[in-house]
Amino acid sequence: MSQSHLDDVFAYTEERCLWQFFSRTWDREENIEGVLNQVARLLTGQEPVRDTPQERLFYADALTMTNDIRERFSWASQITKEEVDSLISGLKARLVDVTITRSTNRELTHHLY
Amino acid sequence: MSNCDVVTITPPDVKLTPRDREGIINPMYDCQPAGAQYAGIGIKDCIPLVHGGQGCTMFVRLLFAQHFKENFDIASTSLHEESAVFGGAKRVEEGVLVLARRYPNLRVIPIITTCSTEVIGDDIEGIIRVCNKLLEAEFPERKIYLAPVHTPSFKGSHVTGYAECVKSVFKTITAEKGKGEATGKLNIFPGWVNPGDVVLLKRYLKEMGVEGTIFMDTEDFDSPMLPNKSIETHGRTTIEDIADSANALASLALARYEGATTSELLKKTYDVPHNLVNTPYGIKNTDDMLRKIADLTGKEIPESLVHERGIALDALADLAHMFFANKKVAIFGHPDMVLGMAQFCMEIELEPVLLLIGDDQGNKYKKDPRIQELRDAAHFDIDIVHNADLWELEKRINNGLKLDLIMGHSKGRYVAIEANIPMVRVGFPTFDRAGLYRKPSIGYQGAMELAETIANTLFAHMEYTRNKEWLLNTW
Amino acid sequence: MPMVLLECDKDIPDRQKHIYLKAPNEDTREFLPIANAATIPGTLSERGCAFCGAKLVIGGVLKDTIQMIHGPLGCAYDTWHTKRYPTDNGHFNMKYVWSTDMKESHVVFGGEKRLEKSIHEAFDEMPDIKRMIVYTTCPTALIGDDIKAVTKKVMKERPEVDIFTVECPGFSGVSQSKGHHVLNIGWINEKVDTMEKEITSEYTMNFIGDFNIQGDTQLLQTYWDRLGIQVVAHFTGNGTYDDLRCMHQAQLNVVNCARSSGYIANELKKRYGIPRLDIDSWGFSYMAEGIRKICAFFGIEEKGEALIAEEYAKWKPKLDWYKERLQGKKMAIWTGGPRLWHWTKSVEDDLGIQVVAMSSKFGHEEDFEKVIARGKEGTYYIDDGNELEFFEIIDLVKPDVIFTGPRVGELVKKLHIPYVNGHGYHNGPYMGFEGFVNLARDTYNAVHNPLRHLAGVDIRDRSQETPVIVRGAA
Repeated sequence: MSQSHLDDVFAYTEERCLWQFFSRTWDREENIEGVLNQVARLLTGQEPVRDTPQERLFYADALTMTNDIRERFSWASQITKEEVDSLISGLKARLVDVTITRSTNRELTHHLY
Repeated sequence: MSNCDVVTITPPDVKLTPRDREGIINPMYDCQPAGAQYAGIGIKDCIPLVHGGQGCTMFVRLLFAQHFKENFDIASTSLHEESAVFGGAKRVEEGVLVLARRYPNLRVIPIITTCSTEVIGDDIEGIIRVCNKLLEAEFPERKIYLAPVHTPSFKGSHVTGYAECVKSVFKTITAEKGKGEATGKLNIFPGWVNPGDVVLLKRYLKEMGVEGTIFMDTEDFDSPMLPNKSIETHGRTTIEDIADSANALASLALARYEGATTSELLKKTYDVPHNLVNTPYGIKNTDDMLRKIADLTGKEIPESLVHERGIALDALADLAHMFFANKKVAIFGHPDMVLGMAQFCMEIELEPVLLLIGDDQGNKYKKDPRIQELRDAAHFDIDIVHNADLWELEKRINNGLKLDLIMGHSKGRYVAIEANIPMVRVGFPTFDRAGLYRKPSIGYQGAMELAETIANTLFAHMEYTRNKEWLLNTW
Repeated sequence: MPMVLLECDKDIPDRQKHIYLKAPNEDTREFLPIANAATIPGTLSERGCAFCGAKLVIGGVLKDTIQMIHGPLGCAYDTWHTKRYPTDNGHFNMKYVWSTDMKESHVVFGGEKRLEKSIHEAFDEMPDIKRMIVYTTCPTALIGDDIKAVTKKVMKERPEVDIFTVECPGFSGVSQSKGHHVLNIGWINEKVDTMEKEITSEYTMNFIGDFNIQGDTQLLQTYWDRLGIQVVAHFTGNGTYDDLRCMHQAQLNVVNCARSSGYIANELKKRYGIPRLDIDSWGFSYMAEGIRKICAFFGIEEKGEALIAEEYAKWKPKLDWYKERLQGKKMAIWTGGPRLWHWTKSVEDDLGIQVVAMSSKFGHEEDFEKVIARGKEGTYYIDDGNELEFFEIIDLVKPDVIFTGPRVGELVKKLHIPYVNGHGYHNGPYMGFEGFVNLARDTYNAVHNPLRHLAGVDIRDRSQETPVIVRGAA
């Protein structure tokens, strides 16, 4: 995985993706997993999973993100499956760290909405 | 446009009745703390501190901004749950100290209670004693007056809240300074009026050669944009002005419900003669005010005011029996304004058939001599509803009340819009018309300008409803 | 030291935890302003109360519902004539407000009877209206009036009416945010899934958290109509009480204002499995993105692209005209919370404007995570900013325009800084494509207003010429 590719995609996510900032830890975890798994499939030409309403929404978020990545970053057209996997797992880890693990948002773990 | 009714023989009836519903639909007044805040901002180097929830301050600041198109500084103790349980004394103490520390020129803080802090039962006088000690310790060189203002929202209205705050601030400051050397000046309490009215009063005093102090001096509530970007939006009444009120020649209250209590307080405490005249809306009320000022000060009424009176009468005469006669008017707002406007309407042949005044002071209104005067003068029925809301007006119109004109503040705008009745904005707040705060409604000039506004409003309505608009093809 | 202690705050050093100046290579793991915390008394904060968060912001928007405020008249008076949310039925919501006009005797003996009579009266006076929300206020909460019991009794006597109760007195929570929460959670607990409406499209959604400010909702509705998507309920712009009871019927929740209304979207997801999609409705690229996502969810991507193309063709040239003239202008945003993150990037991308300072009245830490992620370095991010702080920040960042409320607008006018109403707008709507052109136009007119330049001239100073202002025609 290229660190600069990860930086690119992370900066993009910060700027555009509200789904990483949902209300609670479990929402954020679910979104990061759900959306980015779909992004990985789309970037590698696999069929996205669209069986449930939630998966269709992950797909909708992922489609925008994938198209934006392809449009903004020329490296995205030559990326291999291994690189995608490593990029997405790197991004997941970084988002989890920023928005969950080391977030100081005091509401993240409240058991109610 | 003129509808000549056949004269009826039955004697006219002037009724004073309260609203006959429990609840309110569309209130005419805000609550007591709002009025107290209005009084507070009239003082220079003063930031009122409202002891209650933040909404009690935020919305009132917005209301003043809507009316005056200006910002006024008012602070809140930001009451939260724990204060509701354990009392809010600490919030007040902290609020006072934070204000004193961050605003080095601050000299007065009226501490204004609200429904919540009155229900909790916070001992404001006790808290103020503690605060005074804290202030003396931290700021030995400064004197900051803390005035307790009890204004639970479940009593009275912003009208009584205004009177209460004026009284408390005067009581606090004069008590500290005590009686001093006579100033020979007149204390004038105009009540809740606009900066334009204050400017007019000052001019009248100047033309008469009378030294007087207007409480509160709100002239700068209309403040400029200056090249040096300084902000001059604040009351002009100083602590010294208030302290000297105890040493005045006499007090003259121009508003029975908004200024008289402080005038009475000065009489009781410092033996300053108390005088009350009708709020000077219209010609006669202005005459009475000027003669009273002349009597109190021994000064003559000058030629210039005779001239101004003549100009006003000359203008009114062009309008009254040609355009105003037999036109039916509803008036709503502050009691002093509504009753004064009704008197003025009678002078210019408008028929004030419905008067709506608010809040729970019904017994006081019964004794108001202006109501008896209307009773004596009217040749038509007048309904005066106290404790009224604006649904009272709307409902009566829906039920067939025929009106040619509505006079009142902007919160009643939709009644007029829906019923397609011309409306002239008077009183407070008038946020849906430009610049009214600058225009006087009292005095000869105010009477004239108001009548002309009424006429022009009726004229525009004639034109846009094609109702004998050709009358004005030649006038 | 990226958390900032302003000069005016030296006596209230706690404020440092609420003000952040973003620097390179930092993120919210280290620096996140404390938010949704108690206000320091006497600071001249901009905050309102929980009651207004429920009544004025959310409930009072509904176009068919009596807003019965149980308390002294002031709470009704103050939350009336302070919003611009029209409706398609003649603005019933803006014309009326109801109060039980509580007096001292009710404080002493209880106000329940007064409330009961006032409710009956209100329905009697307006017999066409069958829905009501009853709100407690500070004093009625303190004396412990059981408003739920009263409304239950009335509903029994009047089976045709439905009443919802909101119990969030002004002193609860730290700002209006608490009121949003109480209303959201109360509604899902008590009213959602109590009615079924006719479903007329295979694509259904709720549009949550837009309040039809100057017609926002109605403008966006034209998009949903063109896409063939049925909006089951608008929470609550131009909305009806009964539509909100049917929120469970939608396939998707689209959320604009996540602060005021995210709670109900979360609950709808948890209880009914309806997924939550957060979008930004202000700005061209954001609006297009939101439409694309909604259409991708329903599998109608082509329709979405056609709509976006049509709107871009119509409005993008106008937007670009303004962009050219607003490029590099500096903006401050002092509003409630979410508009900070909705706008900071959209005005930059679509209009070339730099947002240099932002203050939120009632945002939570989540809102600051969002805005700091999106916002620029060198920009101030302020929680619960107060008046002296505003003066100091203005000196530091020198904005060309401030998006804020009318009162603060009047204040900054004296400093020769134009304002645009960031709450009720100047001449909106501001959402959607057409709306963002309106925002651009109002910003342009504010920034290029001739008076601002005339105000700086001291006519006594002969070295200063009164400038002749040349403006491009819009």
